[in-house]
Amino acid sequence: MSIPFTLNGTPITWDGSATDRLLDVLRAEFTCTGVKCGCNEGECGACSVILDGQLVNSCMVAMGRVWDSEITTIEGFRETEAFQILDRTFAETGAVQCGFCTPGMIIAAACLLQRNPSPTAAEIREALSGNLCRCTGYNAIISAVDRAAKEGCRP
Amino acid sequence: MKNGFVPQTLTEALAIRRREQVTPYGGGTDLMAEHHRAGTYLFLHRVPELTRITEDDTYLRLGACCTFTQVVNHPATPAILKEAISRIAAPAIRNLGTVGGNIGNGSAKADSVLIFFALDAKLRLMNADGERILPIRAFYKGRKELDLAEDELIVEVLLPRQMPERYIYHKVGARAALAISRLSFAGLWSVEDGKLTACATAFGAIEQMVVRLPEVDEILIGVPVAQLHRVRSQYLQAYSAKLNPIDGRISALYRKSVCLNLLEDFLDQIQSAE
Ligand SMILES: Cc1cc2nc3c(=O)[nH]c(=O)nc-3n(C[C@H](O)[C@H](O)[C@H](O)COP(=O)(O)OP(=O)(O)OC[C@H]3O[C@@H](n4cnc5c(N)ncnc54)[C@H](O)[C@@H]3O)c2cc1C
Ligand code: FES
Ligand code: FES
Repeated sequence: MSIPFTLNGTPITWDGSATDRLLDVLRAEFTCTGVKCGCNEGECGACSVILDGQLVNSCMVAMGRVWDSEITTIEGFRETEAFQILDRTFAETGAVQCGFCTPGMIIAAACLLQRNPSPTAAEIREALSGNLCRCTGYNAIISAVDRAAKEGCRP
Repeated sequence: MKNGFVPQTLTEALAIRRREQVTPYGGGTDLMAEHHRAGTYLFLHRVPELTRITEDDTYLRLGACCTFTQVVNHPATPAILKEAISRIAAPAIRNLGTVGGNIGNGSAKADSVLIFFALDAKLRLMNADGERILPIRAFYKGRKELDLAEDELIVEVLLPRQMPERYIYHKVGARAALAISRLSFAGLWSVEDGKLTACATAFGAIEQMVVRLPEVDEILIGVPVAQLHRVRSQYLQAYSAKLNPIDGRISALYRKSVCLNLLEDFLDQIQSAE
């Protein structure tokens, strides 16, 4: 029996071990290489994806857990209007340097704005607290999300 | 499916648990962090009885596979539990991690488990033949040793609805987010007519198991708040005699002095709250 799930809106049936990691499967078999592998331990958020509407670390998810679920990666979110706004505000505020953490940050921001369209700075910080950035020092990222919210970003 | 089962009912889950060699999988945040992932997982996220929160006259019943996020968002969740959970890791981990998994990993550092001890929660365990209910303290037998048979699952955490009114919670950790707690304390109490009518304390991450000493807390019960100073040293000494912190990255002596400071602070809080 294979594992049914939806990836970025496309129904999939996947034949493999239920103990394989979602992160590895997304990157190796579905060319979702915007999902990054930073730490493998749930500590950095580079591998963030949306599982049934909720932010999760794909390095912490076994394939059996996605049975019958909907997964959105940065590749899927890229097609939305909300992404266009976040992409622009991240560029405008200088929130992207090496870019390694950016897909995860944007996915985490999308999950926040979906629940809470006008978050405070503290709420933005909390929502992104599992996403590490080695380059920017976070303030630019917080402003980018704040600006996107104010520009009506509604994922 | 290779190496996994995704049961849709509790009956089905318990039948597989009995028939097959499987590892229960709640949110996977402990299992996936292990470096040698092998064997077969029993994925429990589709089982309705395990993923819901219900209430009756006596208990708030948390399904073992409720995520931290689910528990924190439930209106009936006690404030002390909300506070402890909201300080676990980051949102993405709280969206996956479950209360049953926090218990099932057997660690004395598990943050929701500390609160379950302090609230004298009970666990409802089941196998294919039936259920048993036991106090959470009895479930922990030693370091990573749980009173859980090969064919059993943790089904519910039962939180008594009758609980002390006030609380303090401390987590003395390494880093703000993502830190597995180094030392944690929960203290709850109630005052009626100027007297302490209930008191429950617990320490996490200092010994192999969460420390909960109701016989020591008993010293405070019935004492008028204005008279607490009279039993203060008796209480602290009784605690001190029972605490046996493990030596680790933080020395045992340091841990013990932090514990006693937290208890002093707890007594001060009780007095200043009146
Ligand atoms: C980055 C990171 C940060 C973390 N920070 C914290 C923290 O601050 N505080 C904290 O307490 N924890 C923390 N943890 C640990 C972990 O998230 C928690 O222990 C969580 O509660 C585990 O739940 P789970 O459902 O993901 O467990 P799983 O990995 O699914 O399971 C853990 C164990 O419990 C068993 N189990 C699960 N469900 C059942 C059941 N119903 N019946 C019987 N056995 C069962 C499993 O077989 C396994 O042995 C952190 C983990 C990571 C990766
Ligand atoms: S790679 Fe998953 S959180 Fe770091
Ligand atoms: S921009 Fe380099 S890690 Fe964030």
